[in-house]
Amino acid sequence: MFGNIKKLFSYRELLFSLTKKELKVKYRGSVLGFFWSLLNPILTMLVYSFVFSIVLKSGIEEFAIFLICALLPFNFLTNSVNYGAGSIIGNSNLINKIYFPREIIPLSVVFANLINFLLELVALFIVLAIMGYKFYIYLYILPLIIFIEFFLVAGMTLLVSALNVLFRDLQHLITIIMMVWFFGTPVIYPLEMVPEKYQFIIKLNPMTIYTSYYRNIFYYIKFPGGGGFPSAAETLTAVGITLVVFFTGYFVFKKLEYRFAEEI
Amino acid sequence: MRKIIKNNNENYREDRIKSRSAGNDIAVEVDSVSKRYRIYHEKIPSLKQTVLTLKRTTYEEFLALDDVSFSVKHGETCGIIGPNGSGKSTLLKLMAGIICPTSGKIKINGPLSALLELGAGFHPDLTGRENIYINAAILGMKKRDVDKKLKDIIEFSELERFIDTPVKNYSSGMYMRLGFSIAINVNPDILLVDEVLAVGDQAFQAKCYRVIYDFMKSGKTIIIVSHDLETVSALCSNVIFLKNGKIVDMGKPLDIVSEYRAYIEELEKKRMVEQQKAERSKIFKTVIGDDRKVVDGEEISKLSHLSIDGETINRFGSGDAEIMRVKMVDENGKEISYCKYGDSVEIIYEVLFKAEVEEPIFGIRITDYRGNIIYGTNTRLKKVETGTFNNGDKVSVSFSFKINLIGGEYSVSPAVGYSDNRTYCDWVNDMFTINVIHRNIAEGLADLDPEIKIEKEFR
Repeated sequence: MFGNIKKLFSYRELLFSLTKKELKVKYRGSVLGFFWSLLNPILTMLVYSFVFSIVLKSGIEEFAIFLICALLPFNFLTNSVNYGAGSIIGNSNLINKIYFPREIIPLSVVFANLINFLLELVALFIVLAIMGYKFYIYLYILPLIIFIEFFLVAGMTLLVSALNVLFRDLQHLITIIMMVWFFGTPVIYPLEMVPEKYQFIIKLNPMTIYTSYYRNIFYYIKFPGGGGFPSAAETLTAVGITLVVFFTGYFVFKKLEYRFAEEI
Repeated sequence: MRKIIKNNNENYREDRIKSRSAGNDIAVEVDSVSKRYRIYHEKIPSLKQTVLTLKRTTYEEFLALDDVSFSVKHGETCGIIGPNGSGKSTLLKLMAGIICPTSGKIKINGPLSALLELGAGFHPDLTGRENIYINAAILGMKKRDVDKKLKDIIEFSELERFIDTPVKNYSSGMYMRLGFSIAINVNPDILLVDEVLAVGDQAFQAKCYRVIYDFMKSGKTIIIVSHDLETVSALCSNVIFLKNGKIVDMGKPLDIVSEYRAYIEELEKKRMVEQQKAERSKIFKTVIGDDRKVVDGEEISKLSHLSIDGETINRFGSGDAEIMRVKMVDENGKEISYCKYGDSVEIIYEVLFKAEVEEPIFGIRITDYRGNIIYGTNTRLKKVETGTFNNGDKVSVSFSFKINLIGGEYSVSPAVGYSDNRTYCDWVNDMFTINVIHRNIAEGLADLDPEIKIEKEFR
């Protein structure tokens, strides 16, 4: 484990290079570049806002902001897992011809999406500032939350990218799992709306706790009626589950890694 | 520091310590390494299948490398040769750490770089310059080293004008040149090369060889897999001949290369014989049909202990009659082996009957060295009655010709067929060779014997 980290560190330049490549390739050939990637969350936001503030009338104030501050961190997870799933197979030419720590490939996908996520947050800050949110009060918590969420995302991406080499139809399953996960996380609805007896299950989902943090930092600062930061116990449970996911993902990846070159 | 790679896949990679140890002159040591591949009958298993049957689809095992041991010293250039499928590339991949051995261990002392494919991992949408950085990083180079060497890399690749063009617009030669330039500038202690020297035009290739020579001179270790025996003999100090996953021999390049050449020639010969056999049996089956007894050349020669000049002859037939020998005689009945255009000759073959055959057809076919049929005829086509023959009858069949052949070597294939004109007692391919002395009179296959007139004023 320790040796692996040391080795990964010695290949950090490759990780940076591949992350840069992921981002470059993504935005190549479009003048607006990064701004296109904002289009997806903005459109999602508009659609859900229309549904929940005009059609279904949830009664949540400034629903768009309520939604987007949970949607962006969740998209970080979804995008990483979805892109990461095919990353090993997609780079078969590298895997087959050159040796380097294989985890760099899915990790570069995670890092690229992380950078994307951070840029989206910057855009969000601008919008929040214009709308008069005091988003900066609890901002010091943000890096920590992003740091912890990163491990969850990395663990899931490593797990899925490795398993997908052996079971190619996993890719289809992942789309469904991610959809279930999305609706099982309070992104388009507030946690309080979940009936008391189900809240316990929903709270076992670490993404529930993390999105709750994001929402408290950005949204409830203006509408302190709902929310409230998760309790220490809830937070620790989420961190614990996150670490389990991360290490499972990591060890499964390491276990299967030596078979990649033969299987693809 | 030096560690041993155990046959333990989890710790395998971590144990490959790549630092050059003091006082140790072995660069690469391969110790009784075997590699077994599983060939799945259904390539990509599905989740459903795995869950339902709780195991993978059926597979065959394939032993790509079988107990291979050798070592390469620092500063040596080692060549690995062998026919396709002998395990050369598997061996390189094992040394590069891309795959793990099923059993055995590999020790690597020093930084290693493997050129298994040039430009592996180039991204088509990125420019040459961007790809240099990524590819160099993949090969283990630091960014500041790339900055320093960028100029060299671009210059060596001769792509100055196109370096900021996306590589998808490169020709395959440009692509390879860029790949080679990057790889060669990584500057490892141990270099593994797989058939990548055939890059670009003559001038660029010469440049590549110079770089490899410089590499050798500076005391680097190189391991080359190649089919180009000239290159191997010229560059290597040591050659390994691999066949079916096993080392046949290793040693000085000249000895090993000539051993390999002999093996290849043998293989080629065998393949030719196989091919001829296959073709013959094809012809035979179409001629004979399936209602007749099928006897191929080898069988008949075993049956009757028949061979001419100690050579087995490609022949077929039921064996009811045997063609004993073919000769050519001149007008005076003297046996000859040469003739010239316009000579009158007789081609005679002797037949020994082993059973009663009614109205057999005696035939002859003349082919050129490429197998084109020049002429063929038989007693049926010529409406010659032959009569009935019994066991033990000896017959001599004579065809007299005026040699209207242009010149060269021609083969004679005699045959004795049954009266149905479909099946044969004996057919011998290329039993006899006629040499016609070349006289510059014409070209082509047939002599149409034209009369040539020249009129001065034509209308």
